[in-house]
Amino acid sequence: MNTGFVQSVRALVTLKPKQKLTAQYLLSLLIAVSLAFLVGAGIMLLCGYDPVACYAALFKGALGKPRALGNTLAKTVTLCLTGLAMSVAAKAGIFNVGGEGQLYLGGLAAAVVGARMADSPAWLIVVCALLAAMAAGGAYAWLPGILKVKLRVNEVVTTILLNSAAIYFCSYLANGPLKTAERGIPSGTDSIAAAAWFPPLIRLSSLTTGVFYAAGITLFIWYLMTRSTAGFEMKITGTNPRFARYGGIRADRLALWGMVLSGMVCGVVGPLEVFGLHHRFLTTLSSEFYFDGMLVAMIMRYQPVGVILMSFFFAILNIGGSAMELSAGISSEVILIVQSVIIFFMAAEGGISEMARRSAAERRVRRAARRAEKEASA
Amino acid sequence: MSAEGPVVRFEHVTVQFPGVLANDDVSLDIRRGEVFALVGENGAGKSTLMNVLYGLQKPTLGSLWIKGRKIGPRHDPLRAMAMGVGMVHQHFKLVPSFTVAQNIVLGMEPKRRGLFYDQKRADHDVRALGERFGLPVNTADTVGELSVGLQQRVEILKALHRGADVLILDEPTAVLTPHETDELFEVIRRIVAEKGMTVILITHKLGEVMALSDRVGVMRRGKLLGVLPTAETDERVLAAMMVGRDVIFDELREGAPGEQVVLAVRGLAAKDDRGLPAVRGVDLTVHAGEIVGVCGVEGNGQTELTECIMGMRPQTGGTVTLNGRDISRHTPRAIRAMGVSWIPEDRLSTGLSAKATVTENLLVGKQRQPAFSLLGIHYRRRNARRYAAKLAEEFDIRSGGLELPAASLSGGNMQKTILAREFSFDSPVLVISQPTRGVDIGAIEFIHEKILEKRNAGCAILLVSADLDELFRLSDRLVTLYEGQITGRFEAGSIDKQEIGYYMTGGRQKEARKA
Amino acid sequence: MSDVFNLLLLQNTLRTATPVVLCALGCLMTDQVGIMNIGVDGMMLMGAFFAVLGSYLFGSWLMGLAFAFALGVLLGLFYYVFSIKFKSDEFIIGVALNILAGGLTVFLLRTLFGVKGSFSGPGIVPLPTLDWPWLERIPVLGPVLNGNTLLVYVSWLMVAGSWVFLYKTPLGFHLRASGEAPEALRASGKSPERMKRLASVLCGVLATLSGAHLSLGYLTMFSENMSASRGFVAVACVIFGGSNPPRVFLAALLFGFIDALGLRLQKYIPSDLTSMAPYVVTVVMMVAVVLLRRRRQSTRSLAS
Repeated sequence: MNTGFVQSVRALVTLKPKQKLTAQYLLSLLIAVSLAFLVGAGIMLLCGYDPVACYAALFKGALGKPRALGNTLAKTVTLCLTGLAMSVAAKAGIFNVGGEGQLYLGGLAAAVVGARMADSPAWLIVVCALLAAMAAGGAYAWLPGILKVKLRVNEVVTTILLNSAAIYFCSYLANGPLKTAERGIPSGTDSIAAAAWFPPLIRLSSLTTGVFYAAGITLFIWYLMTRSTAGFEMKITGTNPRFARYGGIRADRLALWGMVLSGMVCGVVGPLEVFGLHHRFLTTLSSEFYFDGMLVAMIMRYQPVGVILMSFFFAILNIGGSAMELSAGISSEVILIVQSVIIFFMAAEGGISEMARRSAAERRVRRAARRAEKEASA
Repeated sequence: MSAEGPVVRFEHVTVQFPGVLANDDVSLDIRRGEVFALVGENGAGKSTLMNVLYGLQKPTLGSLWIKGRKIGPRHDPLRAMAMGVGMVHQHFKLVPSFTVAQNIVLGMEPKRRGLFYDQKRADHDVRALGERFGLPVNTADTVGELSVGLQQRVEILKALHRGADVLILDEPTAVLTPHETDELFEVIRRIVAEKGMTVILITHKLGEVMALSDRVGVMRRGKLLGVLPTAETDERVLAAMMVGRDVIFDELREGAPGEQVVLAVRGLAAKDDRGLPAVRGVDLTVHAGEIVGVCGVEGNGQTELTECIMGMRPQTGGTVTLNGRDISRHTPRAIRAMGVSWIPEDRLSTGLSAKATVTENLLVGKQRQPAFSLLGIHYRRRNARRYAAKLAEEFDIRSGGLELPAASLSGGNMQKTILAREFSFDSPVLVISQPTRGVDIGAIEFIHEKILEKRNAGCAILLVSADLDELFRLSDRLVTLYEGQITGRFEAGSIDKQEIGYYMTGGRQKEARKA
Repeated sequence: MSDVFNLLLLQNTLRTATPVVLCALGCLMTDQVGIMNIGVDGMMLMGAFFAVLGSYLFGSWLMGLAFAFALGVLLGLFYYVFSIKFKSDEFIIGVALNILAGGLTVFLLRTLFGVKGSFSGPGIVPLPTLDWPWLERIPVLGPVLNGNTLLVYVSWLMVAGSWVFLYKTPLGFHLRASGEAPEALRASGKSPERMKRLASVLCGVLATLSGAHLSLGYLTMFSENMSASRGFVAVACVIFGGSNPPRVFLAALLFGFIDALGLRLQKYIPSDLTSMAPYVVTVVMMVAVVLLRRRRQSTRSLAS
């Protein structure tokens, strides 16, 4: 048997392990987003709308006027914080799907503090309210965290269930013991001290000075996750908890702290809404903000910088979606569909590209074999 | 060659894995009614070749003939079985929660009214099959609760039930006790002689080859080096072919071990994952500058023993002391701080994080040292990278880049990464489990040298390995572990392989029981 | 409190438990093949919508069920392709499916029916109630057992049927083996992937049927997010019941009981608190099952 032939095949078919993940991943993301927009366009066509007009309305509605831009930025803040909250826990290998409940409790705690401390200086109210919100959110995340760490109770299911529990509980308080005496407020608490309200940065938009607190938190989370020793340990724990324990990392404690921190960040989103927008706790505080943030985090694989950038994109979709509904007439939920299509594609990205790679490699091998056979017979 | 031609024929079979040529142009005939042994070291390509035959692996090149028929590209286990090829894998492919009968008929269950599982007929068929081949089993037992030997019997029956007349046994004795091994050999001889079966035995134990086979093929690095009639060869010749070099003993150790006891284990007891006692009162001491080897058939408590010492598994009794200081019942973190490093047997689940980068894997355990952490807060990446590059050079870790995930490394380089990390702690005690499992030969040499370097520098080393040659080569003293207890202790000079084999399979215990 | 604890309470229990039972059985199928499908909540929601759609368009409850069924098959295949074929994270796919369900149902509600919030109307034909006089004759429980809607009885049949399927038929064996020891199944010449596909489709169908019961069984309407996390309760029931159909059934009944009790206690306790109860109880149940298992283990090892 001629060994030259075997060697040539060997050289041809040696498969290289996957390198340079980021560039390829971003390309896939671009493709996924384009595909999702196409799917959205298809739905619009089916429903008798003009996709070009709809998408134009979307982007104009999100970025066209200072006020719209302000709303988009405010939405970016919410998505970014919730996305980072998800990421920081996921980095440590624990999934916090209960951000919605933590957000509600944080908002309620802040609203109560804001209303009760009406006589204090504004800065003190804000500080106390934020601390109260963090405490409430953190504590509510601690519970599923400790159950996971100590008893191995699945945290995905418990956090989801605790969401509903928290939202009903807040609703009970806002309709019952803490219900405001003011007229015209269907279900909400007393108004917070006017001095402590977060003033809007752009007139009539929901972008308020709360953005500075959010920026601080974002910076902190980014630093923690990418530049700190604790972040290093979280990454090891998240990727292989047994290895982390063996390597002398307190994996359980880290996972628990990741969860609590996640809850604290979610808790802060509550007061941003309360102090900036409603000036009291309302039972309609959030409309699944946390789930939007979670999506952003998942798509960007829990990378902080990616989450920050992707939040802006999703905020455009979100704010622009409502504008599109007003001007073009199509229901804004079509954007939710577009978003979930992006997620489906991105979640499957690894599998699809692996399949493509493998079939390409197989083809290569077969072609090489055929060529070699021809050479051998010639 | 018999008149009807070979029952199995490989023609220029080549299998290419990423980076490795697992089978390199192998041509081989298996004759009807023979016991054919395929020997070679770990990673020589034996299992891959048999996976080709059984349809679990497609050959990159070359062709396969079974009973005179050329096998097409769509070969799979179902077709292999239909042609009478059965395989008993090294890791049994059984469903633990199913009964014996359910496992044996899996995939071809007898049905009642076209829909329901016919338990009566299945039980009857299985029992009849067992009687026919002299392999009695209790059909209603749950497979997960059977001994390993009986599980293997279920696997064999499963193949026979599918009408196999060519039976591939992959390392069948690796997990068996000597008694079970004898029984298995008895069965093989009988089915070959009485039922006209063909048996292909994959192994690296030469004693078994000599005892059982008619012909033997030797593989090394994917190549089939030759096929010899067993009667015309002996273990020395085969060993030399397999290894490709003479094994040199005792050359690398320098100086005698120290007097000081560093690691002392007293009456250690622990349970396995199922909650059954796995370590039952182990006493051990390791001196400075000494390697103590633990030998035993796998699953006799070695894993639990090392996990206990490292604090990864709660112990149910006894103590572990390091220089007289009790380190038992601490967390792995505390035990590390007191000076124990561990190379775990399972690289991917315990030894590293496949998704983290090579640099990160090398740094774990040191991330809080001032050089890598400013005030315990800021991760000093540049220092970490420089340090990782230094370690990678020192331990000859070959990677596509230290900032790539550890998953991109080959098995040998993963092991070197773990070695580099653990050795660089300079702990007084090293616990090493299966240091060269699944590692290519060049890396084995390197790892052995590094281990002996540590020993010569005064480190107390506890070495657990399933590879007797490795233990013989490295250890100053050896202990045998059987069913969680130490059954024998040996000094380096006075080691007799057969004696060790006797002790590590509980031989002495049986004698004691008889007396 | 006799207005709370009476036979009507049991009747309500059966009613509220039924969607959870069906959904949990679906979830159990995927659990048996080693997938935790948290997308069932979304499947249930979509099933609820499409059942209403089918019933409304054709004026027939049968078409409602057919719509839900067909959707279930599609969703099951969809879930299979993404989670098994493309090897995506099953958790992400589940969450994305839930979000898709929320968006899609609201979108269709507005686009097709032109309403916001909820859709009800005389055009929707509810599922029939079955009347079996012989059931009525059972002492005490007779009136409770009789006169329920179709899917209540179907769900009981499904509990028994899925148990027989999993533990008494070869196909069920293969399905369980594909989760417990896929390599064993593959070595026997059966494809674990096919079994996973089957489980995924079964899960989709059962989840969408549970949605159909939600919207056609006792309400005859569709409202936004009407699944109200019941899918997650079903997941919890599967964990609580150890993936065994009868035990999962009991867990779901327990949930239904708490839910029904809450509804009937609304006279005495604010409704928000009673609505909270089932979720809290489910979490407590999940903790309890872990603690129980631990105690059993420690007593067993003492005995050995």
